Amino acid sequence: MILPPRLRRFALTAHVTASVGWLGAVVVFLVLAVVGLTSQDAQTVRGVYLVMEPAAWFALVPLAVASLITGMVQSLGTAWGLFRHYWVLFKLLLTAFATIVLLQYMETFRAMASVAADSRADLGLVRNASPLLHASAALLVLLIATVLAIYKPKGMTRYGWRKQHEQRAVSER
Amino acid sequence: MADLPPYPGTPRWVKVFGIIMTIVVLLFVVAIIFGSGHGPGRHTRSGGSGGRTTLASAIDKHTPAEGGQG
Repeated sequence: MILPPRLRRFALTAHVTASVGWLGAVVVFLVLAVVGLTSQDAQTVRGVYLVMEPAAWFALVPLAVASLITGMVQSLGTAWGLFRHYWVLFKLLLTAFATIVLLQYMETFRAMASVAADSRADLGLVRNASPLLHASAALLVLLIATVLAIYKPKGMTRYGWRKQHEQRAVSER
Repeated sequence: MADLPPYPGTPRWVKVFGIIMTIVVLLFVVAIIFGSGHGPGRHTRSGGSGGRTTLASAIDKHTPAEGGQG
């Protein structure tokens, strides 16, 4: 179903906002991860790992889910479709994969916050390189998705090819 | 209805991208199935040499201070 122009623009605005917001939130997590690993202040280090869990629940997860849903609405509501062009398909897969990994990783945020909350825990134990690794990987994935959305590299799936010619045949009648 | 013209084929970038994505997803699935989940023990902690066991076991043993984060 093709969305009317006004609704399409609204859907596009929502998708860009959610996706850019997700990218920005990941950059903030990258900064937090670096601060957690390098800061000499014990309270700052503990604070970093304590704040990551609620920040992920209230920023990363909603933005990731919103980006995924609005992206699907945007694809299905325009001529691009969801499975017609390879760039759309790959963008969907990347977003879905990143969202699944994020949801899996929420348990890690909880565990790290738990260690950081324990004042008896050694600071070396509180520091963890895992968020840096994951935030870097997430940033890479989201940048690839952004590049795909902007450059829209050519390439139709077999399904898209068939659909395009079916529609062309119908319009020529 | 006119015959469908032959499919022009899959672009090279799609093949390369597809292979890379398949490898990454397989690695993730293998980590989930054969590893101890996707938890904090999966990666080395800072300054540690293979901190997986240390951190994972420490987290398992840890009971957060009374009142949690307060």
